[in-house]
Amino acid sequence: MSLNDFIKQLDDLVESAAHSFENAIREVDKQILEETRVEYLGAKSGKLKEVQKNLGKVPKDDKPVAGKRFNEVKTRLEELFQSATEAIMGGGGKGKSEKLDVTLPGVRPRLGHIHPITQTIDELKDIMGRLGFSAVEGPEIEDDWHNFEALNIPLEHPARDPLDNFYLNVAASGTGGGNQLMRSQTSTVQIRVMENHKPPIRIVSLGRVYRPDEIDATHYAMFHQIEGLLVDTNVTMADLKYVLRLFASSYLGGDVEIRFRPSFFPFTEPSVEVDMRWQDTWLEFGGAGMVDPNVLKAVGYDPEEVTGFAFGLGVERLCMRRHGIHDIRYLYDSNTKFLAQF
Amino acid sequence: MLVSWDWLKDYLDLDISEAEVCDRLTLAGLNFDGAATVDNDRCLDLEVTSNRPDWLGHIGIAREVGVLFDLDLKVPHADIKEYAVGGACSTIVQIEDEEFCPRYIARSIVGVTIGESPAWLANRLQTIGLPTINNVVDVTNYVLMEIGQPLHAFDLDKLKGDTISVRQAMPEEKFLAIDHREYILSSDDYVIADEGGAVALAGVMGGKETEVNEMTSDLLIEAAQFAALPVRTTSRRLKLKSDSSYRFERGVDPEMIDWASRRCCELIAETAGGTICEGHVYAGSLPPARHKVTLRLSQIPRVLGIEVPPGEVQRILEKLGNDVTHQNSESITIVPASWRRDLDREIDLVEEVARIHGYDKIPEHAGVSLSASHQSDLDRIRTKIRTAMLGMGFDETLTRSMVNDVWAKTFQGWSLGEPLTSSMPMVKGEDRLRISLIPSLLGARRNNEKFSYSEIDLYEIAKVYLPKAKALPDERYMVGISSGRSFYDMKGVVETLIAMLNPNIQVKSIPFTDPMFEEGQGAHLTVDHTTLGYLGVVSSATRKAFRLQQAATVAELDLGALMKIAVLIPQHQDFSTHPAMNRDLNLIVDEHVSWAALEEVGLEAGGELIEEINFQEIFRDPKADGPGKKRVLFTVTLRAYDRTLTGEEADATIARILDACGKKTGAKLLA
Repeated sequence: MSLNDFIKQLDDLVESAAHSFENAIREVDKQILEETRVEYLGAKSGKLKEVQKNLGKVPKDDKPVAGKRFNEVKTRLEELFQSATEAIMGGGGKGKSEKLDVTLPGVRPRLGHIHPITQTIDELKDIMGRLGFSAVEGPEIEDDWHNFEALNIPLEHPARDPLDNFYLNVAASGTGGGNQLMRSQTSTVQIRVMENHKPPIRIVSLGRVYRPDEIDATHYAMFHQIEGLLVDTNVTMADLKYVLRLFASSYLGGDVEIRFRPSFFPFTEPSVEVDMRWQDTWLEFGGAGMVDPNVLKAVGYDPEEVTGFAFGLGVERLCMRRHGIHDIRYLYDSNTKFLAQF
Repeated sequence: MLVSWDWLKDYLDLDISEAEVCDRLTLAGLNFDGAATVDNDRCLDLEVTSNRPDWLGHIGIAREVGVLFDLDLKVPHADIKEYAVGGACSTIVQIEDEEFCPRYIARSIVGVTIGESPAWLANRLQTIGLPTINNVVDVTNYVLMEIGQPLHAFDLDKLKGDTISVRQAMPEEKFLAIDHREYILSSDDYVIADEGGAVALAGVMGGKETEVNEMTSDLLIEAAQFAALPVRTTSRRLKLKSDSSYRFERGVDPEMIDWASRRCCELIAETAGGTICEGHVYAGSLPPARHKVTLRLSQIPRVLGIEVPPGEVQRILEKLGNDVTHQNSESITIVPASWRRDLDREIDLVEEVARIHGYDKIPEHAGVSLSASHQSDLDRIRTKIRTAMLGMGFDETLTRSMVNDVWAKTFQGWSLGEPLTSSMPMVKGEDRLRISLIPSLLGARRNNEKFSYSEIDLYEIAKVYLPKAKALPDERYMVGISSGRSFYDMKGVVETLIAMLNPNIQVKSIPFTDPMFEEGQGAHLTVDHTTLGYLGVVSSATRKAFRLQQAATVAELDLGALMKIAVLIPQHQDFSTHPAMNRDLNLIVDEHVSWAALEEVGLEAGGELIEEINFQEIFRDPKADGPGKKRVLFTVTLRAYDRTLTGEEADATIARILDACGKKTGAKLLA
């Protein structure tokens, strides 16, 4: 018998013994343990004994190596038996397992938490995704064109007041795009998408937006918006109402009534405020309307060929109502006690 | 806009309940915000959108009620004949800049007796929360709230010279306002001035020196139009908001200025006596002509999704005060009412029809077609990262995008450029756009240490804004992580994150020196010479700057770089089912030999039989091994794909590894 064959026998023996002792431990069975011991370590006809007989057949030169390996394997098998005995008999070897106080607390792995704003956004994206709207993002720092001009907000419009926007201190001439500012709405993304794609368009744009404000329980100078946009031939306000009803029903669960109140936004006309009737009260949902023809023109669409609707809502308000958060500052304070609730 | 219920009845035969009126107004765009009882009257709070200045007066509101309930509107004639005598108004009006002041109407009244306003007038002002001053000032306020046209009464005797001018203020020009405060003006402001200087801040507030008081006998009544933008600029800069500035900012009806002037004079004469000079001053140009707007009836179903009968379309547009000039079966053409400068396109008329006809007529069922939607790779990656961070015990946080000037430069690993600044701070002192998330996360740690929270493991996925010359900045999503765990625990988190995105990627850690990291405890992570991120132990100086008590580690990874290496759809790779052999090696090496060097040599020398090399521990025994040496213990796992390895193969592989480690790093096997 070659040394290799002999070592192979030894390796196989360790592998199968390990398997059998593990089985005994798993079954917590003294009987199986004893049978396994006899099978491998039995003094008369144990498998180790059988293999030992082959030691004699190994060529003489290989004997020292073979003998060393045999002894290692023998030690290993005895260790396996010993640890299996301890596992089954318990420390005292009395054959009875320790009685646990099952009322003691478990050892909990630490689990992190996902921010409630993220969870709300994910839910909204998920619902809109099912309605066929793909989520898109865009730059948070914008130029006048995307944040105002293309959205039908002319220079003299109050929304462009320097005190109401985070304009950046960069030389306007050098940038080519006029002033730069932290975007005050995510409609900017819709402009970018329409500039680069032909209709049909069916997207939700979302992300952080910025407007200077005294920070208090209900105001923050940074917040999140999600806005939907559908542009195609033959899109009407009835489609808008239908999509919003499906959206509201998915979000709140159950059938929800939608109400439009006339409003005014530069980038939509007609413009409406949307309310959802939920458990006998009208909840404010957000703003919506038909994309203003000037906006369609600004991105190179023909308002005689396509129409579109858009709607937008503040994520913070939905999130706070959903989770009963009464102070918006909690959302951005990084207090782990707050974050760990969601 | 606060509205007196009693006042509305001057213009309409209104026998509809307040609740019903408010409901209908809400659904027509005048949102009802509440009501209160004031003496015998009711005060309604109606929210007016910025496109409808005509609703900033009771007549405008009454007109809307009239349209909604099909009632006729009665507007007073403002006839001054009864109180007028011949003669011209003695004052000359000069307008320097017609862009700012397109028209200015002045009338004079002589011989008034200043006193208290009659009860009917005082009560109405009281209902809508306006203070009563005297019969003249109260009338100007009354007419303002009636038609939305601001008016001002000067004491004619106090005006110096015979000319008043509408001009830009001089730099540093001083102006004493009727609120008794002195304002320093700039050339952005416009004033009404006499020979002695500014007597009113145009469109915003009157002046103290020409104020009407109990001694006043003769009046000059101003009714003018001022441009929105300069009025707003002045009013905001001086923090002077008035009912006048509010209306000029939204635009007054240029064709009702004279009516307002006459109405004001009529009521002053009625309540304070005096006679009105018949001649009046009209400075500036005539109101621009109003242009026709045509509505194609086919646009109504195209935009609204419902049909509205042509007769109803006509009724609505007419009742709103527009002149219908042409109509056939396909279209209707109107000239908009003078108070509706917002109606100049076809879509504006569609909206008017929808608003009055009622949005409740639009059905909630429509046939929107199905469409596929796609989840972006960015969203997929972020979801994966959040899931992994969740499992590793980290809480997601969101922090402000702007920081103070110190925080802005705490970590400049991504850009050495000057962080961008905003003209407004987000909160006091925070006007820099961040170029790293790490400072914000250290700030977040401090917020938590304040509460003595012990385990503060936070991460944020957000953008940083790296300045770029002559272009919009380079916005990059970063994954910022901060923890109280050790360097190697933090590195393990980062490695797990990367391995989840791509198990086969080789990330290189290069020692990185930065003031933010403790010396010798920072690392720069790269893949194929591209920066993936940075990690390290926060230096005690930085901790001090952030007032942190406890040790902290941080990491920041470029999400874009992670996206490039990520395998979004993992592919199955066949693996060996043959047994592995583990060999523990304990090598003595020079202190400077890095684990990465040893591992690289081992992997290369070991060849394809190596499944993995796992570091176990480092041990130092200078007595036995001499100074500057360390023992590195690691396990080599060997496995062949197609067979069970033989001992000889294993031994030979290990021998090669030892030999190569010896030659290339000077490592010796511990005997």
